[in-house]
Amino acid sequence: MKKTHFPVGFVIAASLMILFIILPIIITLLSVSAEQMLRTITDKDVARSIGLTFLAGAISTAMGMLTGLPLAYILARGSFRGKSLLLGIVDLPLIIPHTAAGIALLLVFGRQGMLGQAFAQVGLFFMDRLAGVVVGMMFVSLPLLVNASRDAFASVNVELEQSARVDGANAWQVFWQITLPMAWRGVLSGAVTMWARGISEFGAVVILAYSPKIIPVLIYERFQGFGLSSATPIAAILLVVVLFLFALLRWLASSLEKNS
Amino acid sequence: MTLLGSAACTPKAKTPLVVFAAGSLIQPFDDLEKAFEAKYPDLDILAEYHGSIQVIRHVTELHEAIDVVASADQALIPMLMYDVNIPGTEQPYSDWYLSFASNHLALAYKPGSKYADEINQDNWYEVLSRPDVKVGLSDPRFDAVGYRQLMTFAMAQNEYGKETIFNDFIDGQFTHRIRLVDMGDLQIIRIPELLETTRESHIMMRGSSVALISLLEAGEIDYAFEYESVIKQHSFEMLRLPDSLNLGNPDLEEQYARATVKLDFRRFASVDPIFKGEQIKYGITIPSNAPHPEEAALFIQFLYSPEGQAIMQENAHPLLLPPRGDGLANLPESLQGLRQGQ
Repeated sequence: MKKTHFPVGFVIAASLMILFIILPIIITLLSVSAEQMLRTITDKDVARSIGLTFLAGAISTAMGMLTGLPLAYILARGSFRGKSLLLGIVDLPLIIPHTAAGIALLLVFGRQGMLGQAFAQVGLFFMDRLAGVVVGMMFVSLPLLVNASRDAFASVNVELEQSARVDGANAWQVFWQITLPMAWRGVLSGAVTMWARGISEFGAVVILAYSPKIIPVLIYERFQGFGLSSATPIAAILLVVVLFLFALLRWLASSLEKNS
Repeated sequence: MTLLGSAACTPKAKTPLVVFAAGSLIQPFDDLEKAFEAKYPDLDILAEYHGSIQVIRHVTELHEAIDVVASADQALIPMLMYDVNIPGTEQPYSDWYLSFASNHLALAYKPGSKYADEINQDNWYEVLSRPDVKVGLSDPRFDAVGYRQLMTFAMAQNEYGKETIFNDFIDGQFTHRIRLVDMGDLQIIRIPELLETTRESHIMMRGSSVALISLLEAGEIDYAFEYESVIKQHSFEMLRLPDSLNLGNPDLEEQYARATVKLDFRRFASVDPIFKGEQIKYGITIPSNAPHPEEAALFIQFLYSPEGQAIMQENAHPLLLPPRGDGLANLPESLQGLRQGQ
C-alpha cells in the first residue's frame, strides 16, 4: 500500500482535535475514586436511570426506523415536486435549539396539546412519563437516522432494483430483499447514531419529562443539587458504559462485514 | 475577527457584576438590572436565578465567583455561609445579611384549572389531594417554596383539625417517602435524600417554584405553590392562604416555628439542613470572596434607593423598611449608611 503524506500542520491540527475530545473524558474518569465509583455503581437510582435512558433511546430508535426508513427510501429514490422542501424539513430538528424543541413538543404532546389530548383518550400521557422522554429523544435524533439511511439507499445500484422488478418482484420485495440487505450497514450506523444522540439529549427531554430522570437529567440534578462530587461519578460511569457499547457495536459491525 | 475588532473599539471593557438570586426575584431584579446598568454604564450585571439553596451552593460548593447572593430564605445565609470557611482560609463565606423583603405563600391557578370554581380557603388541601388534579411542587431539597409548601400542609393539620391532611396529599406520590411526625406543637417533616415522583403521581416536581410557572401557563398543572409577588407579576388567579399558613405574618412567628423540615442527607451534603418555620424573609449578602465587592455594594445601595424601592413596589414585592438584618456591624463601609434608619 502506498503511504500518503500529509502536511505537517494537518497532523498537528488533527492531534489537537483528538486531544480536545479525549482529554475531558480521561480527566473525568481519573477524577473519580474507586470508592466513589463503587458507591455510584451500587446506587439503585443511577442503575435505574441508565436502564431507563437506554430503553427510551431504543424505543425512539425503533419507532424512528418504522417511520424514518420509508421516508429515507422515498427521499433516496423518488423524484417529485417539493422534495427539497422535504429534505429541509427532515433537517429542521438539527438546527432548532433543543429547549425550543422541548417547548414545541410540550405544546403538542402536553395535556392541552392536540396530540396530548388525543393520546390521553387511550391512557397515554407524555408529561413526566417515559413516552415524553421517547418523544423528546426521537425529535432531536431522527434526522441522523433518516439522512444516513437515505445515503445508504441511494448508494444501492438502481439497476439491481430494476432488474428485480423485471423478474417479477413487487416494490415491497425489492426493498426488503434487495435494497435493505445491501444498505444495511449505513442504516445500522444511522440507527446507532440516532440511539446515541437520543440518550445524550437533555434540553428537549427535561422540558417534557423532568422525571422519570434519564441520565443527563440526573447528572444535571446531582450537579446542581449536590455538587460536583456526586455528579462526576455518574458521568464517569456513563462514559465507561457508552465507550464499551460503542466499541462492541463497531466490532460487531466489522465482523458482520467480514462474514458477508 | 469582527467580534474581536468591535471589542477593541469599545472604549472600556465593562466590569461584570455576578448576581445570583432566588427564582422568585427574576422579574424585579431584571428591572433593577436595567435601571442599574443605565445608571452605571461601566457595570454589566450577569444574573442567574435558581432555587434559594442552589443559589448559595453555587458559592459554597461549586466555588463560583459571585458578587451578590439574594436568597428567598434569609436563614440559609447563616446556615450555609456563616459556618463554612472559604477553602484555605479562616474566613467564612459571609458574616452579615440584610433582610430586604418578605412575601406570602399562596396558590396560583388559572380560570381553566380543575375545580377552580370550588377551591377556597377551607377546602384547598382536599382539592389538591384529588388524583385528577395536577399539582406542581418545587423540590424541597433545592428551593425555599419547596420546604415551605410542606410546612403549610403540616400546619394545615392544626388549622383545620384534621390529622390526615399531610398524608392524604403526599402518600404514594413519591418513590421515597416524605414523612411527617406530628406532635401538635412540634411537626417534623423529613425529606429523603432521593426524591422522585411515582409513575402515577398527580404531582409534578421541578427544581424551583418559578420553573412551575410555564407548566401552569401551558395547562400542564392545575395548581402550584408560589409567592404572592410572583403570582401577581404573572397575573395568575390567586388563592390566598390563611395568615396562619402563608408564612407572611410577622405576628405569627411562634405558630410558624412549630413546623420544621429536615433534609435527611447522608451522602452528599456537607451540612444537614434543618428549616424552621418562620415569617418569609429574603436575605441579601456579598460573599467574602466576591471578585467585585465595591460594585456589589453599589447594587445593594441601589436596591434600597428610592428608584430601587419603586421597582420592587411595582413588582408587588415591597422592600422591608427601614433596612434590617443580621451581623450589620460587618456591613461593608459603603453600606453602613443603611443602618441609620434602625
